[in-house]
Amino acid sequence: MSARDNILRRVREARQAAAAPTAEEARRVDERIRARTVGPRPAVQGDLVERFLSQCERMSSTVARVACLEDVPGSVSAFLSGKGLPLQAAAWPAVAALPWDAAGMHVQARPARGDDLVGITGVHLAIAETGTLMLLSGPDTHPVTSLLPETHVAIVPADRIEPAMEEAWARTRRETGALPRAVNFVSGPSRTADIEGQLQIGAHGPFRVHVVVVG
Amino acid sequence: MAHPPLRVGLFVTCLVDLMRPRIGFAALKLLKGAGCEVVVPEGQTCCGQPAYNSGDRRAAQALARKMVREFESCEHVVVPSGSCSGMIRAHYPELLAEFPEERAALDRVVARTRELTDFLVNVAGLTTVPGQFAGTVTYHDSCSGLREMGVKSQPRALLAGVRGLTLKEMATPEYCCGFGGTFAVKYGEISARIADRKCDDVAATQADAVVLGDLGCMLNIEGRILRRGESTRVYHVAEVLAGVEDD
Amino acid sequence: MTEAAQEAFSGTGGPGTARPQGGTFSGRAHDKLHDAKVQRAMRNFNLAAARSRAMAELPELEDIRTAAAAIRDTALADLDVWLERFETEATRRGVKVHWAETHADVNRIVAAIAREAGVRKVIKSKSMVSEESHLNAALEAEGLEVVETDLGEYIIQLAGETPSHIIAPAIHKTREDVADLFHQHHGTPRKTGIPELTMEARAVLRGHFLSGDMGISGGNFLVAETGSVVLVTNEGNGRMVSTMPRVHVAITGIEKVIPTLEDVACVLRVLTRSATGQSISNYVTLATGPKGAGDADGPEEMHVVLVDAGRSTVLGSDMREALRCIRCGACMNHCPVYQNIGGHAYGWVYPGPIGSVLTPSYIGLENAVDLPNAATLCNQCGVVCPVRIPLPDLMRKLREKQVEAGLRPRWERAGLRVWSWFAQRPALYALATRLAARVGRLLGGKRRAIGRLPGGGWTGERDFPAPQGRTFRELYARRPR
Repeated sequence: MSARDNILRRVREARQAAAAPTAEEARRVDERIRARTVGPRPAVQGDLVERFLSQCERMSSTVARVACLEDVPGSVSAFLSGKGLPLQAAAWPAVAALPWDAAGMHVQARPARGDDLVGITGVHLAIAETGTLMLLSGPDTHPVTSLLPETHVAIVPADRIEPAMEEAWARTRRETGALPRAVNFVSGPSRTADIEGQLQIGAHGPFRVHVVVVG
Repeated sequence: MAHPPLRVGLFVTCLVDLMRPRIGFAALKLLKGAGCEVVVPEGQTCCGQPAYNSGDRRAAQALARKMVREFESCEHVVVPSGSCSGMIRAHYPELLAEFPEERAALDRVVARTRELTDFLVNVAGLTTVPGQFAGTVTYHDSCSGLREMGVKSQPRALLAGVRGLTLKEMATPEYCCGFGGTFAVKYGEISARIADRKCDDVAATQADAVVLGDLGCMLNIEGRILRRGESTRVYHVAEVLAGVEDD
Repeated sequence: MTEAAQEAFSGTGGPGTARPQGGTFSGRAHDKLHDAKVQRAMRNFNLAAARSRAMAELPELEDIRTAAAAIRDTALADLDVWLERFETEATRRGVKVHWAETHADVNRIVAAIAREAGVRKVIKSKSMVSEESHLNAALEAEGLEVVETDLGEYIIQLAGETPSHIIAPAIHKTREDVADLFHQHHGTPRKTGIPELTMEARAVLRGHFLSGDMGISGGNFLVAETGSVVLVTNEGNGRMVSTMPRVHVAITGIEKVIPTLEDVACVLRVLTRSATGQSISNYVTLATGPKGAGDADGPEEMHVVLVDAGRSTVLGSDMREALRCIRCGACMNHCPVYQNIGGHAYGWVYPGPIGSVLTPSYIGLENAVDLPNAATLCNQCGVVCPVRIPLPDLMRKLREKQVEAGLRPRWERAGLRVWSWFAQRPALYALATRLAARVGRLLGGKRRAIGRLPGGGWTGERDFPAPQGRTFRELYARRPR
C-alpha cells in the first residue's frame, strides 16, 4: 500500500465510511462545487470607485484618478517626480505601449529585475471591498514586476473594479476560464510587524503601491 | 400585589456555604425584597463543576443529578454565581445526556436556572435595592457569568441604584482573573500572575472596592490584593446591593 | 507511544524530531515568568486589540464565523473525497502531489525533491507543518543551505530557537536581541532602530530570494475546485518563494482543503481580521502549477506535500473540531495564560489553547499531560475563534481522557474522590464543612487571611481569604423565623 492509500484509508475509517468512496459522496462534492455558495458578507455600498480608492488608502497605497489612458503617463511621471524617484520603469508590454516618452519617462516592456526601482502593471480586476489589486500571471503579465521593484504602479480601468472577491472569481471564470499559474491579490505595500510588534512598511515586496484609476 | 409571588429555589453554592454565608443571606434579602417566595433545598451541596473541570465525569454526573433532583420542583432556580449557574445551563445537558429517563427534570431545571442579578433584573423586575455604599467601585465580569450566562449589564444596572455608589470601569473588566478552579492551585504561579494583571487594572481605577459575581474570582483577587498589601476591598455584588458587606 | 510521539521526544532536535526543549511545563512557565525580557515583550504584544477594532467594523461577523466553520466542516466530513479532487485538479495543472504519513516522510520527500532537482539553497516562507518535522535540520543534514525568509522566522533561525507564536514567531524577542543577532551574523555595525533592522533583513534576504533554487512554503488552504494552494502573507515572502526559485514545494496538512474559490473569499474575511486585524493581508496568492508555456517567471516544478502525521487520527476522535483551525493565532492572542508565559512554555509547535488541544492529539496524551489543564477555561479563545472551535470543551474532554487513562497524579485523584464522596452525602458534608469553616477562620487570625497552605500552589504569591467561620447551612437553620 502506498502512503496515499494508507492516508485515504485512515481518513475513511475516521469518517466511519465504507472502504471505497461512493457515488453519493462524489455527487455531494460535485454539487457543492457547482453551487459556488456565496457566504454572508459585508455589503459594499456606494460608488465602487470611491470605495476602492478609500480602501486602497487604508491599506497604505497611494491613489490617483485620471480620465483616460492617455493621461496615465503624465500622472505617473508627476507621482514619481514628487517622490524623487527615477522616471524609468519595467512594465507589462500592454502598459509599455502608452505614450510614456511624451511624459519624460523611459519605460521598457520586460519583466522587472531585482535592481529595477519602479515596476508598472495593469490589473486583471480590482476589489472595492478591500482596496485589492488582482493580478494574473501570464507571458505578458509578469508577476515579478509587481514584486521586485521598490515602487509598484498599477493602472486600474474603472470598469475592472468589482465589489468583492466573489464577483472577481465569477468574472474570472467568465472571461478567463481556468486559473493561471499564479493569481496574486495585492493590497498595499509589503509590511511586517515581526520586531516588537511594530509595523514597518516594505518587508520583501514593494515599499510603495501607487494605484491609478482610469475613467 | 396583583401577581402571585415568584417561587424561587436558592442554590447557595458550595463556596458561599463554606466561605461567605453572608452572600447567601444577601441573596435571600434581595429576592424577598423583589417579592419572591424563597426556599433553600436542604440537601444541596455542589453543582459538580470542580469534578467536571478536572475530568472526573462520573463524580460530576452524580452531583449534577443530585442537584437536579433537589431543584426540579422549583419554579425558578437562582444562583449567586455566574460559574455555577453556567455549569447548570451550559454544561448539564451534555453532562447528563446519557440519562434520558431524567431528561424532563433536567430540561426544567436548566431552563429555570438564572444567575442572581440576571434574575433580579430580567425576571423579578427589581428596580430599587436597599444597599448604600459611600465610595467608588469597579466591576469585574467573571468569565462564566459573562460568556455563558450573558451577565454584563444586569449587575451594573442594579449597582446604579445603590445610594452613594459610583461605578468606575477598569480598562479590561472582561479579562480573566486567573482563577480557573483547580487551575489556581495546580498552576498557582501562572494563576497569581494573571491575577496580578487584574489587580493592576483595579488599582488604576483607584476604586475603594472591586465588585464581582463569583466566589472563585473573589477569593483569587482578594488573595492577591492582600498579598500585595493593598487596601482595596472585594465584595460580591449581592453584598453591596443588599447592604450587608460586613459581619 | 505513537510513532510520531517517539519521533517527537526521542531526540534533542535532530532531523525528524520535534522539540529541543526539555523540562516540565511548569518549569518552563516559571522560567518565562521570571525572564524580564520575555515579560517585556509579552506586555508589548497586543494583536487582540487589533482584532477587536477590525471586528467592530464587521456587523456580519457572527454569520461569517458560522459560515467559515461550516466550510471547514464540509471539507472534513468528506475529507478523502475532497483531497482526491484536489489531487486530480492539481495534477491536471502539472503539480506533483506527494503524501506523507509521518513527519519522517515529510523530510524524506522534500529531501528527495531537492536531490533530484540538484538544489543547493532552499528559501522558506513560514510553514508550521515543517516545524513539526524539523525539516530545516533534515535538509541541512543533506548538505543544503536553508534560509527562513519570514522576518520573525529568520530572527529565530539566527538565534537557533523555535517559534513562540504561529504568526508572530519572534514575538518573545526584543529589538536589542535582534540588533545583537544581526550584528553577529551579518557582520554589519550594530543598529537598534526597528526600521533600520527591517531594511537590513530585506537587503540580506533579497540576495537569498534571487539565488535560491527551491522555495518551500506552507499552504493556508488547498482549493479542491481548482487544485490551487493559497498563500497568505504580509511581507511578500510567500510570493517570493513561489515565484523566484526553480522549484516550489508547498507543505501542508491534509485538513487544509476547502471546496471552492468562493470559500476562499469567505474564510479570508475572518482569517486576516482574527490574525492581525487587517481586512485582508497584503498578499494572497493562489498557486496553481508550474509556469506555463511562454511564462517568463515562475517555478519549473511545483510540488505539494500533503501531511497526515496524526491528523487522520484526530479526525476520528472527539477532537475533530480542532481540525477546523485556520491558524490565525487569535486563541493565543486572547489567552491570559499565553499572554503571561509566551509560546515556548507549551513545549511543542503549537502554543496557546489550540496547542493545548493539538499537541496531546498529535504526540500523545501522556506526553502533554499539563497542557489541557493549564487553562482557566475562561473561554475567551472560544469566543474569538473564527471557525468556532469549542476550545475549552475540547480541553475538558482531554482532561476526562487523562482521568480515564489514569494519567492524573494520585493526590489529585484522591482529593477529588474524598470531596465528591462527601458532597454526595449532605449530612456528613454539613459536618465536614462546619469543621473546615471553623478551622479556616482560626487559621486566618486577625488578618482573616491564610498565608500558607499545604502544597503552596495557592499561597505562593497569594493569600487565601479565611472563611467567615460558620456555614450558610448552620446559620440558615438558626435563622429567626
